[in-house]
Amino acid sequence: MITLIVALVVGAILFGIGLYGALSQTNLVMIMMGVEVILGGAMVNLVAFWRFLHPEVYSGQMFVLIVMTVMALEMAVGFGVATGRFRAKGSVEMEEAQDLKG
Amino acid sequence: MVQAVFTGFFGLAAIWFAVVVFRTSSMVRSALALLFSQAAIGGMFLAMQTEFLGVLQIMMMATEMAIMAIFMVMYMMDPGGLGGMDMTHQKRASQVAGALGALAALAVAFFAGWGPIAPEVRPAEQVYGLGIEIMERSMLIFETAGVTILTAMIAATAIAIKRRGKE
Repeated sequence: MITLIVALVVGAILFGIGLYGALSQTNLVMIMMGVEVILGGAMVNLVAFWRFLHPEVYSGQMFVLIVMTVMALEMAVGFGVATGRFRAKGSVEMEEAQDLKG
Repeated sequence: MVQAVFTGFFGLAAIWFAVVVFRTSSMVRSALALLFSQAAIGGMFLAMQTEFLGVLQIMMMATEMAIMAIFMVMYMMDPGGLGGMDMTHQKRASQVAGALGALAALAVAFFAGWGPIAPEVRPAEQVYGLGIEIMERSMLIFETAGVTILTAMIAATAIAIKRRGKE
């Protein structure tokens, strides 16, 4: 039970740090790093749930694989958007992205 | 007990490096800190006897963060952090949101009834069980993930590609 609680506490703190990072950073790449930390916290929780609550059902591990896929996709599309934005405006600062508003 | 100690050790490392990501001014250090944070999460997976996912996490994040470091140096205005630029906004609100999010998750961790703890699963059984899961019950999900990756690759390339006649 202790290990489950330790893992859940680490997951919760990582979620908080990631949320702070995603909301406070002005650069697109740094915002993506915040999202990566949030997803890292989610994965810790999923693995802990699988291992300590239902190790006989492998959909827990499958879910972690899907989250890893989401992380990779977020990076790929995010960098695509960053490259497009950098080509168009010479910067990926989100405070300068007011022109994206409708 | 040994498992809890190792999980806690890797967990502390993951938290420490996650904090460093947003505290350091150098973008390369920031990317490396995220790499170590994600690798420590992989270490937690290994400590929790999830060998396959642990190794996969460390391998994936090592390559992903190396690529991220290159992009960060390319696109940041002050990649070395020598100019002392402040790259944050709405700091107070973000701190409050982060603290509230973490507290809510901690409250669930401590106050939810988690039920009995399951016995351990041997590594060989795990790999077999995951393989059967992917090839039987979750095959459609796995295939969908593959198609989604392909779509994202095409979309990312299409967005990033230089348009003719624009420059």
